[in-house]
Amino acid sequence: MASRLRMLAPYLFVGPAVLSVAIFLYGPLIASALLSVLDWNLLSSDVSFVGLGNYAAILASPDFRTSAWNTALYCVILIPAQIILPLILALMIHSVRKSPIQGLYRGSLFLPTIVAYSVAGVAWSWLLNPVNGLFNEIFGFFGFPKSRWHTDPDLALLCVSLVTFWKTFGLNMLLWLAALATLPHELREASQLDGASARRHFFTISLPLMTPTAFFISVTTFFHVLDDIVGVIDVLTQGGPAGRSSSLLYFLWQQGLQFFQFGTASAVAVIIIAAVLAVTWLQFRVGEKKVHYG
Amino acid sequence: MSAAPFRLSLHRLVIHGVLLVTCVATIFPLIWMISSAFTPNEIITARAVRLWPEDPTLSNFTIAASRHPIWVWLWNSILTATLITIGKLLLAVPAGFAFGRMEFPGRRALFWFVIATMSFPTVLAIIPTYIAVVKLQAFDTYGAMIIPSIPYIGFYVFYMRQAFRSLPASMFEAARIDGSGLWRQFLEIGIPNVVPAMAALSVISFMGAWNIYLWGQLVLEDGFKKTLTTGIATFADLEGTEHAWGPLMATSLLSIVPVLVIFLAAQRFIVDALAPGLDER
Repeated sequence: MASRLRMLAPYLFVGPAVLSVAIFLYGPLIASALLSVLDWNLLSSDVSFVGLGNYAAILASPDFRTSAWNTALYCVILIPAQIILPLILALMIHSVRKSPIQGLYRGSLFLPTIVAYSVAGVAWSWLLNPVNGLFNEIFGFFGFPKSRWHTDPDLALLCVSLVTFWKTFGLNMLLWLAALATLPHELREASQLDGASARRHFFTISLPLMTPTAFFISVTTFFHVLDDIVGVIDVLTQGGPAGRSSSLLYFLWQQGLQFFQFGTASAVAVIIIAAVLAVTWLQFRVGEKKVHYG
Repeated sequence: MSAAPFRLSLHRLVIHGVLLVTCVATIFPLIWMISSAFTPNEIITARAVRLWPEDPTLSNFTIAASRHPIWVWLWNSILTATLITIGKLLLAVPAGFAFGRMEFPGRRALFWFVIATMSFPTVLAIIPTYIAVVKLQAFDTYGAMIIPSIPYIGFYVFYMRQAFRSLPASMFEAARIDGSGLWRQFLEIGIPNVVPAMAALSVISFMGAWNIYLWGQLVLEDGFKKTLTTGIATFADLEGTEHAWGPLMATSLLSIVPVLVIFLAAQRFIVDALAPGLDER
């Protein structure tokens, strides 16, 4: 009896975590796959099997195509920005790490990360306000014409990118700082004796040593970018004007929870899961070869 | 030769300058929010840039409170964030202990099963979960807000496993020889030695739960059930942004202050959790 309890004990410890994840995270994924072949909304009691009909419908929908294209643009803009700019900031903070105000730099740059999306939306919709916002006041001061910013179809996507960047770059900056802090000092001293410039040292020694962090950041940044823009889009543009700043996850959110088209929304969910898995697999294929584990 | 130290310090001066400008630009929206919250609503839009409130007043808070139950929202935020945090720790700490300190068949597979959820976009699970909430008639309840927000524990389990693993095995050896069961080893030796890790995760979880926006907006429609972050969205929608900047800013400030205080108090813990080793050098 006692030995059987000992055998079971680990499962009692991990059981609640495993079960909750299975029910609340994997369960909905499977449910999405099932819902994606049905035509159903919450208001009617009719449920009909439509096979791949939902997939055909969304692939033909111009709104879906716009949001898929936008998602690609968001990734092209935000992923490099979220990796490289935090690295540059981390390098600068690291180079003044003995200064008493480096904590202040770190803290204030991390600050937007703790602000809620709705609050960020309120602050930025004022900054970008086309009538009397700060950006236009500054533009006016220097004699430039006023811009419509996030209400301009051509600028909306860039404005969402800017606010998303503002709200999330702090996390990657901290991760880079951590990687820099664990690099051995002696290496820089040695390369300095050999006459290597700071830049050469960075590219030939520091960066290769930080590839595990770089790999981790590149994988997680992809997930975060997808997730983070949804909140920003919702508070800043609601996907507009005319869907020009929407993304796939926001399209899903609208289809499912504003128009209650569960079948369509779930088909979008399945497509997103497939895309996320494909990109993750690709990242591991490419990344694993280049990562240097010290 | 004598030029070298000078060039070096000029170099540092430039770096400090760039960092200072970046920091000011980054926190500027928040500074502006604070100064607007204390500026009388009538004169708020008169100037675009205001770093210090003219004619400081608390009237924006009273106006906001007379239009919306902002103090109820504050309480709801505290309640839901606290319960979500407790729930996450109750799941993640024992799991981290088992994954970190016990040998059992299926350990690796179960660990990856939990850890892989770190990559799930939160929006993906929303629709089926929402249908379940409606079918269970749990709409507009705290449970609907709290329970589905708890299982995002991938990072927490990973982090607790690292924390338990880093404890010396001899500690548990000694307890085993003294005849302590697994349960007592967990409670009496494991937990007291991972308090910093638990503190860090509590802070991260509380800040995350405090700021839950999309899900809260979906399941909390009753004005008295809303949290601050979801209430602010309604506030902005209902009033438009033309008339109520001041009260809106006051409410936004109210939603930032608790997380800000916690963040400043626990900055070390958070930095440690997200980036271990940072403060050691």
